[in-house]
Amino acid sequence: MPRGQKSKLRAREKRRQARAKNALEEEGSPDPLCECPHQAVPDAGMSTPPNIQQGAHYTFSHTYENTGAQNQDEKNSDDSDDLEAWSKDPINHKVVLLVQFLMEKYHKKEVFTKADMLKCVLKTSKTAFTEILKRATEHMELAFGVDLKEVDPIRHCYALFNKLEHTFDAVKGDEKMPNTGLLMMVLGVIFKKNNCASEKEVWEVLNMMGVHANRKHFIYGEPKKVITEDLVKLKYLEYRKVPNSNPPSFEFTWGSRAQAEISKMKILEFWAKIHDATPDTFVPLYEIAVKDEEERAQARSAARARTAAMASSHSKAMVSSSSHAK
Amino acid sequence: MQGSSRRAGTMTDVHRRFLQLLMTHGVLEEWEVRRLQNHCYKVHDRNATVDKLEDFINNINSVLESLYIEIKKGITEDDGRPIYALVNLATTSVSKMATDFAENELDLFRKALELIVDSETGFASSTNILNLVDQLKGKKMRKKEAEQVLQKFVQSKWLIEKEGEFTLHGRAILEMEQFIRETYPDAVKICNICHSLLIQGQSCETCGIRMHLPCVAKYFQSTSEPRCPHCNDFWPHDIPEVFDPEKEREAGISKSSRKSLRTRQH
Repeated sequence: MPRGQKSKLRAREKRRQARAKNALEEEGSPDPLCECPHQAVPDAGMSTPPNIQQGAHYTFSHTYENTGAQNQDEKNSDDSDDLEAWSKDPINHKVVLLVQFLMEKYHKKEVFTKADMLKCVLKTSKTAFTEILKRATEHMELAFGVDLKEVDPIRHCYALFNKLEHTFDAVKGDEKMPNTGLLMMVLGVIFKKNNCASEKEVWEVLNMMGVHANRKHFIYGEPKKVITEDLVKLKYLEYRKVPNSNPPSFEFTWGSRAQAEISKMKILEFWAKIHDATPDTFVPLYEIAVKDEEERAQARSAARARTAAMASSHSKAMVSSSSHAK
Repeated sequence: MQGSSRRAGTMTDVHRRFLQLLMTHGVLEEWEVRRLQNHCYKVHDRNATVDKLEDFINNINSVLESLYIEIKKGITEDDGRPIYALVNLATTSVSKMATDFAENELDLFRKALELIVDSETGFASSTNILNLVDQLKGKKMRKKEAEQVLQKFVQSKWLIEKEGEFTLHGRAILEMEQFIRETYPDAVKICNICHSLLIQGQSCETCGIRMHLPCVAKYFQSTSEPRCPHCNDFWPHDIPEVFDPEKEREAGISKSSRKSLRTRQH
């Protein structure tokens, strides 16, 4: 090894350990987060998103207010006040951590518990956690359009739901979630059988489509595992034993997540496409689907009104607290 | 351009959907990002005019700022393609990867990263990386296993492999530049033109300054006699071509012509 290399490596290890130790010991102090300067601004060929000046942080309310008329001067004086407030409030550091945790769980479509969330914001009192969770949830809604919902009140399990319409979009032509087609088929069968279909009925239909329980499928892999385990874990389907059945038989219903994310009309459209028909062909179901669409549209506009109200109430708070800054 | 005043923007469902989808993909090239943007408008706001991409992204970033997250734009070091990723700015480690890899795998990555940053060419040989397998934290890993883990890194776009050697993917540079600069302050190389982290590039044989290949391409674009910007000595390397998205689209029709464009730069 060239001379000096070993000592360089030793110094590096020491630095790394010191940093790891600091990371464990520090509690809510915002210093590591202030260390995110953007070094000299690149020019040729590399445009960057707006500079994050050292220490310029915005409070939560500031980012969501809709003030297009605000000019640069006002903003700078607000910045320094916000910076004071921000760095003095250690809760915000934990809000950031929790948001990152939630983003990761959403990305992986994983269910998680309250204990998991507490683990990621170590050393937090119960009351502080409620506030941290509240702020983190608001961020997820306003920035990402993602909702946090309790899916299992007994075991305190949570999952993140997409608030936006049209969950199943295939951008590149290959769907990010390859089991979508299979799910749509099963949901269709359940819908047709008055919202509860026996496992036998489901396989009858799937077999007609060339999907079999005991055969590996070139898209869906192990179809039986997908519909009885994977999609159930993700709360898109519910799979339960028929009470008092001997020999035991099972049935499927829509999972809570499917109810939240997928409209009945979408299922009908899917089935119509497969059968080369239009959704209104399936007469009794069509009425139900139309009603379902209306209810969803109403729920969406109510949610939008709530979002707007949330944003404006925050901006009001901002205005009253910053009125002295000018 | 850098001095433009920035105001806290408004998020609509178009922006939210865009963010969600960008998050799913991890890293995207610019043409994919534009397609994504158009798709989001089509889904949520069919009649609106599509914002200029830069403004669209700046808008989102102004809202994400308080979360220490940002949509960052970079260019690939080998052929200057613009890429975008959603980056966590509070990173003080390789945390984005931490959720997808085991402890010993992460440590393998760190070892490879260290070799890459220390190297002269920006590449670390497979052999040198695999020789460090005994020093890894966590569960013991055999060399055969480590080879597969390295391939996992290539598939998930953290490393690039070229002829048995590994270097950082543009995604890793985007996500970890800050971490790398803090952890290896003595070994990091910086581009003389754009002042960003440099892993692969060309260097002046006289005074030692370095430049990214795409920075070289832009800087010497219309010069017949390229000279070092620092010591004015003759620049001894091949000057690559500036990345042209139009040419790229035409070349994309036949894959073979695309390959020849790339190999010419080495």
